Amino acid sequence: MDLAPAPRHPLDDRLPGRLPPPGGHPRPRHHRPLGNPRFGFNPDNLTALADPAYRTVLLRSLGYALITCLICLAVAYPVAYAIALRGGRFKNLLIAAIVVPFFANYLVRMYGWSVVLSDDGTKVLQTGAGVVAGLVYGFVVFMIIPLYAAMERMDTSLIEAGRDLYGGPLRTFLYVTVPATRQGAAAGCVLVFLPAMGDFVSAQLMGGPDQIMIGNLIQDKFFQGQNWPLGSALTMLLMVVLFLGMLGYLRRTRKDEAEAAR
Amino acid sequence: MSTGSTTSTPSTANAPSTANAPRAASTPSAPKRRRRRRTAERRPRFAIAVTAVFFALLYLPVGVVVLFSFNSQKSLTVFEDFSLRWYTAFLQDDVILDSLGMSLQVSLVAMAGSLVLGVALALGLVRSRSRLRSFAGLVMLVPLITPEIVTGVAAMLLFKGLGITLSTTTVMLAEITFSISYVTVILRSRIAALNPEVEEAAMDLGATRRQALRLVTLPALLPSILASAVLIFALVFDDFVLAYFTTGVDPQPLSVRIYSAIRFGVQPTINAVGTLMLAGSVGLIVLALAIPRLFGRRGGLDLLSGK
Repeated sequence: MDLAPAPRHPLDDRLPGRLPPPGGHPRPRHHRPLGNPRFGFNPDNLTALADPAYRTVLLRSLGYALITCLICLAVAYPVAYAIALRGGRFKNLLIAAIVVPFFANYLVRMYGWSVVLSDDGTKVLQTGAGVVAGLVYGFVVFMIIPLYAAMERMDTSLIEAGRDLYGGPLRTFLYVTVPATRQGAAAGCVLVFLPAMGDFVSAQLMGGPDQIMIGNLIQDKFFQGQNWPLGSALTMLLMVVLFLGMLGYLRRTRKDEAEAAR
Repeated sequence: MSTGSTTSTPSTANAPSTANAPRAASTPSAPKRRRRRRTAERRPRFAIAVTAVFFALLYLPVGVVVLFSFNSQKSLTVFEDFSLRWYTAFLQDDVILDSLGMSLQVSLVAMAGSLVLGVALALGLVRSRSRLRSFAGLVMLVPLITPEIVTGVAAMLLFKGLGITLSTTTVMLAEITFSISYVTVILRSRIAALNPEVEEAAMDLGATRRQALRLVTLPALLPSILASAVLIFALVFDDFVLAYFTTGVDPQPLSVRIYSAIRFGVQPTINAVGTLMLAGSVGLIVLALAIPRLFGRRGGLDLLSGK
């Protein structure tokens, strides 16, 4: 199996002006060994972010993270439902069985997952689907736990009521269970979305050069490209995007809480 | 589960006796009623099937790593024969053993450091009357919701900006900073749940503030403190991203070493190392979950609700 080495993407070639000059930056070497940044203000790295190539990577990362959230929701709802409502005395054991491997080494799990996917013969590796599969595998637990907690708290007589009103299983689920556990789902989405946006292991092990995410770009700028200022600017960009998302989430939950209080 | 039995028995017991008599006259509603009764009792087959598949997929990759760590061949697809070949290879690999030693060192130091600071911070966050309290509580949560790559980049730039060469020490510092949040989140609720009157009583009996803390409060918190200690050890030992950004060249933490190994092709030694790491972490997590129970208390460490 060929685990792709760090994807060298074409973006570096597009920014010749921002690569260090052949002799390195002029600086007192005895004070600042190679690799240390020179501090100072320079807007170039922020304007470099306007490059459409970065926008593509950012949008792709957003897309992957969103799809990951949706798949995690689709997986976590049945799992949380089955465990919370039908787990009986095995409930805690089942949840522990989910949590424990999640705490165990992330890299080893991802690596095992990439081996499984490559064995599959379905050519999932080196595609966007492979990256999303990695992200889902890595972070689905963050969705299950808050959803499970919400379902545990949920008044199960509501489900009975839904059935008594002749709602089928699907309709009861959509009109009773989902609204009652909405906050757990929202918390889960945030908890999955944030690390998925920043991840670079999944795209590295399971994606090709065309599936790099913003995390890979940042990593590349710091370790291969040696362009730390640009890497920092990209990190800022990631933070700003996530911060805006968090603001939206907080406003939403405030509104929910205000409604609940009324 | 109690709710399952209480909800299902009345519906079966009540249905014939109370509902039959009036409904018997209206024939069209009879089949509907029967269907409803069945759906109310039906097991959610779909959800259970998804759960089964989920568990299979959750453990399959881990199982593959463990299984092939015992393979006599290098292959990851064909299991030839049981052998401990890759474990002996691991024991003879000085570079990996150095990394293991460094990871253990970092985890121990990070555990100790973050416990001291985290317990202090948790006490402060619960007891302080300062207006900074809620702000500090918010700041403390930031590492938990920031993607690790951002924390890692920030830590690396901070060290470099201060002119500190990246080394084992910088990894320790970064991991301590990161772990404080976990300790504080776990302990905060326990401290809030303590009965303040016990401490007041101790002081009424002549204990100083410090004695009350040492003889009353900390012993009461001991199960949670031990549990978070074990948890932090496991988290730091397994951590990759933060270690990756803050480590120097040599030695490197074990997870970073694994990362560079799997990037450049399959090396079965990694299966052996990975298996040992998984076994170690799983053991520690189970221990962390079990400690509060060993002390005979309920709800000492609640990973699930975070409350």
